[in-house]
Amino acid sequence: MHTLIVEDETGLATELMHFLAQEHYLCDWASNGREASEKIAVNRYDFILLDLGLPDYEGMDLLKEIKEVDHDPAIIILTARGALEDRIKGLGLGADDYLAKPFSLLELQARMQAVLRRKFKLKSSSVAFHGFEIDSSARRVTYGSQEIVLTKKEFDILHYLLLHKNRILTRLQLTEHIWGNILEDDYDSNYIDVHIKNLRKKLSTHASTDWLETVRGVGYRLTV
Amino acid sequence: MRLQTKLALFSAASKVIILLLLVLGLPTIVHKVALLNTDARLMQKEERMYQIIEKQGIESFITEGDAYGSYNLFREEFISLEEISSDRVVNNIENSLRKVDNEIVNYRVLSSTFDLGEKRYLLEIGRSLAAIENNSNTLQTYALYFLAAVVLLTVFTDLAFSKILLRPLTLIIKRLQRVEHPSAFTPKELNTSTDDFRYLNNTINQMMGQIQEAFQKEKEFIGNVSHELLTPVSILQTRLENLLSDPETPDSQLEKLVDNLRTLHRLKNIIQSLLLVSRIENEQYLRNESVDIVHLAEEVAEEIKERAEAREVCLKVELTGDYTLTKANQSLLFTMLFNVVNNAIKYNKPEGTITLKGQPLAKGYELAIIDTGVGIAQEQLPHIFSRFKRLHAPDGESHGLGLTIVRTIATFHHIDLSVQSTLGEGSTFLFRFP
Repeated sequence: MHTLIVEDETGLATELMHFLAQEHYLCDWASNGREASEKIAVNRYDFILLDLGLPDYEGMDLLKEIKEVDHDPAIIILTARGALEDRIKGLGLGADDYLAKPFSLLELQARMQAVLRRKFKLKSSSVAFHGFEIDSSARRVTYGSQEIVLTKKEFDILHYLLLHKNRILTRLQLTEHIWGNILEDDYDSNYIDVHIKNLRKKLSTHASTDWLETVRGVGYRLTV
Repeated sequence: MRLQTKLALFSAASKVIILLLLVLGLPTIVHKVALLNTDARLMQKEERMYQIIEKQGIESFITEGDAYGSYNLFREEFISLEEISSDRVVNNIENSLRKVDNEIVNYRVLSSTFDLGEKRYLLEIGRSLAAIENNSNTLQTYALYFLAAVVLLTVFTDLAFSKILLRPLTLIIKRLQRVEHPSAFTPKELNTSTDDFRYLNNTINQMMGQIQEAFQKEKEFIGNVSHELLTPVSILQTRLENLLSDPETPDSQLEKLVDNLRTLHRLKNIIQSLLLVSRIENEQYLRNESVDIVHLAEEVAEEIKERAEAREVCLKVELTGDYTLTKANQSLLFTMLFNVVNNAIKYNKPEGTITLKGQPLAKGYELAIIDTGVGIAQEQLPHIFSRFKRLHAPDGESHGLGLTIVRTIATFHHIDLSVQSTLGEGSTFLFRFP
């Protein structure tokens, strides 16, 4: 997956590239608008992560340029300005998603996968693991022919853990994922623990849930 | 009361007072004038009588011992001449009663004595008071009609004139009424020859311009602060997350990384909360949705249900009626209710309850969020919406902006928010939707 990161902050771009490289994305980086404009014209990207607040270029103009190239890459806008009109305008101009900084890398990856699935109409949305099967579009979990009824939050946690399998997810990352952008006074990891406990209880009536590990003091990990 | 109405009322009232004074004073004046007039006529007649007597001699009126008297047909006037023997000299005009053909008539009588030869004569010329009264009454009636017409006419012209005169002011007020927020104001020239209104309009334009400029500057400032503060946080977060997922990071460091991420999350949360409050106050959010409040409250309850269960708190929803808030922002209202219910869960006691109670009011809707939690001390109540006031958890990670956000969103939607609380028993947050 050939990806262009348009980001003027070197520190952030470096971390993004590091992360995406691990996830087997082929990454390219443009640190300003002019460079981005050139790269978009010359190369063929599947995915573009676009920071709207560029010093030398109007982010919206760059977005229009991207939409003019013929192969229609997927676009996610990243911005720290977070102004509402930017968001509406960006999505109106054909961006596929919008992520306000600061964002979690795991959230970015989840969004990128969702965009790709939507954009390239990947059919199979179900994944099998340890005898269970999770269908993300139907939001169903089954063991063999039996359906396991999960609450919305339980499903989201399981799905997110599976999406980032073999990686430790902190309670905070899980909280942010399932509660979204609601600004809370403080966050309470206890809720996640309760959800995980219930999830284990429901799943373990069918098979062992050893694969859902608790990493002491850090978080949870789903190993496959 | 509008200025135009006040002016019209004042003008009408002053004219009515003038009219009343005239109505009260007019009979006296007219009467006086009529009397004076009569007196003048009587004196003229007296003069003419003397001329006639001088010319024709007294004998043409009086023969020996006799008296002369003449009435006109309706006894409105009379002239009498007689010889008197007394020495008194009379020369006056006064009212007196005379008996004429067995009928007593009140006359205005001029009496005058004069000497001719050796004899003294008394000349009396009279005019009936009823006739005078009659004349003056007619005069009075016409005068009153005329005055009333004049007053009415001036009241209407005053009204029309003040309306025309005040039209620029009406225009300015209408323009201001249409503007919900200074940022939506467009300055316009005012077409008037009245300097005061032109000055007023120009000043309003100028001040609105200044407010708009300040708003724009604040908007830019918020944008810049947002960018400058959130970018480093963003870099730190991605860096820490990368370290966390790096297989080479020793396990002993993982817990520290998580702690750092938590601290960073807190910083991020504070920045974002402050930015949210500033953006709402800076009118950067749209109010272009119609929100079904009952449905929204149910949605919040559904979303938060599992948190209540995790805390073993019973969440009851008792919503009656139907209410839609127009010109609203759904996601902000969601945040507002979510924060309050979330607090109610967080500061509840085990086995406690939270009730979302809603009912329509005569005008609007009332939504109460009642908890059986730890409550808030009376002296704390006035401060709970202030920024960075941490009420319950000095050791927790609460930054105390949650309720500030709640109040800001309520104010943004003109929702009346009040809190009642008893320490140790629970709190009630009451939202009154307009």
